[in-house]
Formats: sequence, C-alpha cells, structure tokens
Amino acid sequence: MIGFLTLFKREVIRFLKDALDTIVPPTVEVALYMLIFGLALGPRLGNIEGMPYIQFMVPGLILMSIIRNSFLNPAYSLFQSRWDGNIADLLSSPLSASQIALAIILGGVVRGIIVGTLVFVATLIFASFSISSLLLALGYAIVVSMAFAALGCIVGLWTKGWEGIGTVNSFVLDPLVLLGGVFYSLDMVSGIPFIEPLTKINPFTYITEGFRSALLGNIETAMFGFVLTIGLGMIFLVLAIMLFRNGYHLKS
Amino acid sequence: MKIPAVSFQSLEKVYRNVTALKDLSLDIQEGEFFGLLGPNGAGKTTSLNTIAGLVKPTKGKVLIDGLDAIRQYRETHRLVGMMFQDIILDSRFLNVHEILVYHAGYFGIPRRRAQELANELLKRLDLWNKRTARVQELSGGMKRRLMLAKALIHDPAIIILDEPTAGADVELRLLIWKMMEEFHEQGKTIVLTTHYLEEAERLCDRVAIIDQGKLLVEGSPEELMKRQNQQHLEDVFLQLIRDDSV
Ligand SMILES: Nc1ncnc2c1ncn2[C@@H]1O[C@H](COP(=O)(O)OP(=O)(O)OP(=O)(O)O)[C@@H](O)[C@H]1O
Ligand SMILES: [Mg+2]
Repeated sequence: MIGFLTLFKREVIRFLKDALDTIVPPTVEVALYMLIFGLALGPRLGNIEGMPYIQFMVPGLILMSIIRNSFLNPAYSLFQSRWDGNIADLLSSPLSASQIALAIILGGVVRGIIVGTLVFVATLIFASFSISSLLLALGYAIVVSMAFAALGCIVGLWTKGWEGIGTVNSFVLDPLVLLGGVFYSLDMVSGIPFIEPLTKINPFTYITEGFRSALLGNIETAMFGFVLTIGLGMIFLVLAIMLFRNGYHLKS
Repeated sequence: MKIPAVSFQSLEKVYRNVTALKDLSLDIQEGEFFGLLGPNGAGKTTSLNTIAGLVKPTKGKVLIDGLDAIRQYRETHRLVGMMFQDIILDSRFLNVHEILVYHAGYFGIPRRRAQELANELLKRLDLWNKRTARVQELSGGMKRRLMLAKALIHDPAIIILDEPTAGADVELRLLIWKMMEEFHEQGKTIVLTTHYLEEAERLCDRVAIIDQGKLLVEGSPEELMKRQNQQHLEDVFLQLIRDDSV
C-alpha cells in the first residue's frame, strides 16, 4: 500500500509542480469561452432546454476540461517515464502491474477533478449556476475522469513519440467532445446535415447530456450517460491493466 | 542442498532477430561475490535485466531464492537491489534526496524511515551537499553514486550491479569496492559485471565468462587461471573469447 500511495503521490506532485502548464491554461481557456460564447453571443441564442445559453454551456465546459486533463496526465507521465527510462524503477520494484496502472490512473483522476473544480469556479464569474446534487455531480465526474485517465494510460503506452498524445487529443478526443453537445443541444442541430447524425451517434453526446442532468440533480436523465461512461471506463481500465501486465512497450 | 540466490535455468532471449542469450544456465550461491564477465554484447545486461523484470525471457527460467522472477516478481523484486548500466533517474521534478525517498517508497518503506535511510546513504556516498540539487546539476559520477544509493536503499539481500565502475573516478571505484566488500562480509550476495578484469580477479569469489549469449566457463579466478595456464584473468578471458569466435 505504501508503494501504491508513493506512486500516486508522485503522479499528483508531477502536475502540481507544473501548475502553470497543467492547471492554469484550461481554466483560462474556459473563461474565454464563457466570455465570447456566453456573454457576447449567448443572449442572441435565447433559452436552451429552459435556461440561458451561458448556463447551458457550463456543464459541457466542465466536462470537456475533466476529459482532457484526466486523459493528458497519465498519457504524458507514462510516456515521459518510458522516454526517460525511469519506468524501470517501477518495473523492478515490488509494485504489481495493476498497482502501477491504478496509481497512474488515479493521478489523472485528481488532475481531472481539480481542473474541473477550478473551471466550475471560473464559470461562476460569468454565470450563476448552482449544482443541485454535489454528490451526484462529483460521482459522475470521478467516473468520467477514471474512464479517460485509463484511456490516457493506454495511449501513453501505445505511442512511440510525444506527438502521438497530441494527435489523439486533437484528432480524436477534441472532435468527439466538441461534436458531443458541449456547445449545443441535439434540438439546436436537428435537420442540419452531417452535424445532426454525427452528434446522434457520438457517445460523448450522451455523456455530456448525462453530466448536465447530474449537475442539475436529475438522476433519471443522468442515468444513461452514467451507465455508458461506466461501461466505457471498464473497457479502458481492463485494457490498460492488461497492457501493463503484458509489459506492452515496457519490457523487451 | 542450498537454494541458489540466483539461478538462470536454460535461459534464452531472442530480440526480434538477435539471439542475446542461448540456453544460459548458471547458479550464484547465497553470499557469493560473483562476477559476470564477457565482451560488449555478450548478454550480461540482458540476463541481469530478466531479474529486474525489464526483459521477458523467450525460454527458460530465472529463480531468486527459489522463487520465479517472472511469476513471483513482487517477492523477488523485494530481495534484489539493482543498479542498471544506463543512468536512469526520475529527474524531471524531484531533487536528489526526493528521488531516494520516492524510490524507497516504491519498496514499501514509510516516509520517515525512507528519509533517514536517504540521509545515511547520501552521506556515505558523498552526495550530502548535493541533496537538494537537481539531477541535471550532477556530474556523471555523482549520478552513478545516486544510482547506487537507489539500489541499496531497501537493504536488499542480493545486490546486482551492472558495470558500477564505468565512468567512475578512482575514488568512487575504491568506494564501491569497499562498500561491496563490507556487504560481502555481512553475507549479502553480490553480482556484478565489469570490464576491469584485474578487479574481478581480486574481488570475486567466482566468475562466469559469457560470449554471444553462451556460458564459456565458470569458476573461481584461481581455478580458471590454473585450468587455462595463465597468470591473469584477463589472459584467460582473451584466450577464451578468441577461441569462441573461431
Ligand atoms: N532492446 C534490445 N533490442 C534488440 N536487441 C538488443 C536489445 N538489448 C540488447 N540487444 C542485443 O542483445 C545482445 C546482448 O546485449 P547486452 O546488452 O545484454 O550485452 P552486454 O553483455 O550487457 O554488453 P555491454 O558490455 O556492452 O554492456 C546485443 O547483441 C545487443 O545488440
Ligand atoms: Mg551491458
């Protein structure tokens, strides 16, 4: 247990010591989105799902930051350790393969939740949004960050260069998140070719919708996204642990 | 019969197209000061890294105190302290002292105790005044000292050093040998590789010479010199390697 906690702590300290690059930018970015889309353009869009556009955006923006940050932390940390070679310290220690994977994933969860919280606080400057069920919201956020931290772990093992992580982030995660109802509801794009079907088949749409419901305290509508995220998370988690056990790109 | 501290059993390792180890069988007894010798590319690092869990054997087994180093790695890794040939340090955001404390943590040592152990080792290895330095501020030899401290911090029964004296100045070389002799007297098992054969001759109870992944000979330096009719281990080495390559 001490070994596991030590590695978990290392993973958290790693990004905290680098907060200017890991925590501040996503918070500033979201503040900008709020300013431009929410304050400047929002009023022209009227109400969406019964709330002003700027309020509608808040859950999506928080979710986007959680997904991105919980993904990036394990991906970069793992690849960095492979690149520098100090992954050998872990592989030659008494830590089990699953302990290593879980500690690294948990590091990503902490980053996702910290950034998610800061982003939420930043949005409060621009819009009033009260979370009706903190427990539900937090539970949902933790499950989401677990799932994407596990995915980050997989990518950190798979990639052969630093670019690989950025590529997955920009060409897979970002498009899925942005076409997943962060900035619009399904109703808003009904009838628009290409965008509507893409949004409908995109699992992120339901994860985002679920998170929005979770923040609003609506358990029933949150359930589908929640279950979907758990399912996705289980697949990523099992895969990440299996890759670690097999020493994929870790052992020769 | 006593269980060997390290036992390579018909070990074979094939990397893509290179056969690094061919049917290597070798026992190292508990308490032995053992030298694993061989020219560059002989397979020394490959065989030692199977113990550390960095290399997956293609065939065969490695046993540590009778435990399977692949299947029971959590137990065997605890018994072994490994100084790798390459300098590997978690250097991006930890300082010298922190590197040791975290390393001890991975071996399950509580933080307080780890800090004490780190302090002791840093003093002993003459790194005390560099304890808050970043790795980037250390010289090559200082990095090696830190690598050695990492290998020793959990007080392993089996100490494995892959070319510990490469790039070390005279003082560090002497310090390493002195420390290893002390550990030897305490009954620890020491396995090392080195290209300084006169040192191996002087220090090791037994040596093995491997070439192209095969074991050529094993025995005490005296035995081998006698058998090959040579004055120095280095001449035994050169003779055997020359014979092996024809
Ligand atoms: N990761 C790897 N992938 C492919 N081939 C490798 C790898 N590591 C080692 N080899 C090859 O395996 C053989 C044995 O290498 P090894 O590092 O075990 O030798 P060594 O005895 O430690 O040599 P040295 O004295 O130079 O350290 C060499 O032919 C080397 O090229
Ligand atoms: Mg070597």
